Amino acid sequence: MDSVVSFDVESTKEEALALARQGVPADMIIEKMTEGMNEVGKKYEAGEFFVPELIMAGETMKEALEVLRPYMTGETGGKEGTVVLATVAGDIHDIGKNIVVTLLTTAGFKVIDLGVDVPAEKIVEAVKKSRAQILGMSALLTTNLEQIPIVIEGLKKEGLRNKVKVIVGGATVTEEFAKKAGVDAYAKDALTGVRVCKSWAKSRQ
Amino acid sequence: MAGTLDNMMAVYQRREGADLVFQPRLSHWYAANTAAGTLPEKYHGMYLDEIYKELDVTPREVWRPGGGYLGFATKQENEVERWVGKKEDHIVIEYRTPKGTIREVERRTEHGTSTYWSEYLLKDLKDIEVYKYILEGQRYEWDQRSHEWGKKRFGDLLPLKVRVPHSPLMDVTVHLMGFKQTVLMLWRHPKEMGELMQLLENGFYQMIDECKGKSVVEFGFGNNMHQDMCPPPYFKKYVIPFFERVMPRIHAMGMYSTDHWDGYVKQLFPLLKATQLDGLECVTPVPQGDVTINEMQEGMKGIFLRDGIPAVLFCPWSSLKELEDTVRKLIKAFYPRLILGVSDLFPANGDIERIRFVNKIVQEFNDSK
Repeated sequence: MDSVVSFDVESTKEEALALARQGVPADMIIEKMTEGMNEVGKKYEAGEFFVPELIMAGETMKEALEVLRPYMTGETGGKEGTVVLATVAGDIHDIGKNIVVTLLTTAGFKVIDLGVDVPAEKIVEAVKKSRAQILGMSALLTTNLEQIPIVIEGLKKEGLRNKVKVIVGGATVTEEFAKKAGVDAYAKDALTGVRVCKSWAKSRQ
Repeated sequence: MAGTLDNMMAVYQRREGADLVFQPRLSHWYAANTAAGTLPEKYHGMYLDEIYKELDVTPREVWRPGGGYLGFATKQENEVERWVGKKEDHIVIEYRTPKGTIREVERRTEHGTSTYWSEYLLKDLKDIEVYKYILEGQRYEWDQRSHEWGKKRFGDLLPLKVRVPHSPLMDVTVHLMGFKQTVLMLWRHPKEMGELMQLLENGFYQMIDECKGKSVVEFGFGNNMHQDMCPPPYFKKYVIPFFERVMPRIHAMGMYSTDHWDGYVKQLFPLLKATQLDGLECVTPVPQGDVTINEMQEGMKGIFLRDGIPAVLFCPWSSLKELEDTVRKLIKAFYPRLILGVSDLFPANGDIERIRFVNKIVQEFNDSK
């Protein structure tokens, strides 16, 4: 849907509503909008678009989804799996995490975004409740990296560690730290993180 | 104590042959560890500048009593009441005016030594109108008392630097609205956002005028520049024009200007020259940043670097070899246009003895020149 790529909220809403009134299932309309989001994602990866464009496209789609709500039955999305994302306790940096949220949602993942400054126990609880296949944690401050092993321990205590892949991201995460913390992968930037998650989803199929 | 006023002035003035100065930011490490009760025992009972002296490195963020850079005091000529309330570790701040009330909420972290906004001040167009009323009545004034205090204590050692707020776009992004809301408001309400940013810009002209006759060497912007928060299109549209307007006034006063670029910056390097900045602080190479030291050297031609050593290399789990290699590469790439330091500050869980380790390398370099 080109109107998503050009962040034309009104046209996107009009087009979505028109299709719904013609009897096109909501899932198919959302699929068309997602194609537009995928195009935005590709332009972001190519360096033509930047984070503001991801935000504007996301808002365009969000507003269009609102007009489709009366036509939707059940939950949509999530065929690639469920991902829990959080910025760890004490940390409020979330731009990278939010890019990952947008790109993973576009790629067909169900994303549970816990937000920022999330205590370890809340992260573990969210993984347990959602049965997520992937957990992504973001931390920028070196002092808050210490939360990551705490979450890993929490997952082990709940018997979840072998059921979930864990990836951490943030400028201060290094290979040495990731090894010591016992995570499965680390990503220096959002695009790398998304690629890793997609490869995990693919290997599960 | 290592480092002298003249060695630092040599960097601004592009002179060769001066000693390299090592001036790491330690105030956060000091504040967080003091609050947590984890300051190394030998530093118990010491003020920050005494710790700098013990480490034999040049102090930073010490000009005011209680610490910090010299800034400007603000006075309000309109009818504005600032109300502060506390709830556990949240601080609620309301600005009550005849035009309406706006509110922000800060949350304390790191043992109360840092804060972040859990609720931003400007949420919609109505809030912007209230804030414009506040800005229209706001006046910046020279903080003479802090200036005299700092000059007496550090005037022979440190060039006078004033630290000013974020430039208009970054002020809205980092402080007033948050990144997402800034993007949405610029998209949906460009006229109103333009008016807001113009009022923010007017404040900088006041600050520049207040520096007249005050021996200010450095006018330091604290933009927390990151290409994800301020991508090239925003930088070209909002940041460069701002610098094009203010920089001639700063330079006409005989001051040098720096900015704080502590995020990913590779995409912004091609635009750096247009800012007319004299120096950048906190630019961070890999493994923490997104640029190599060679890319920094290429991208910052003609501009001096303050800092440069990734903070993560001071953490106990990082290798000393990597720290040493990075320091030597930075010196080779940037000296004499370098004031060495930590990008962007020494972490609260850093190993303070690594400061001494780096200082040894700096002193060996100075002895070998």
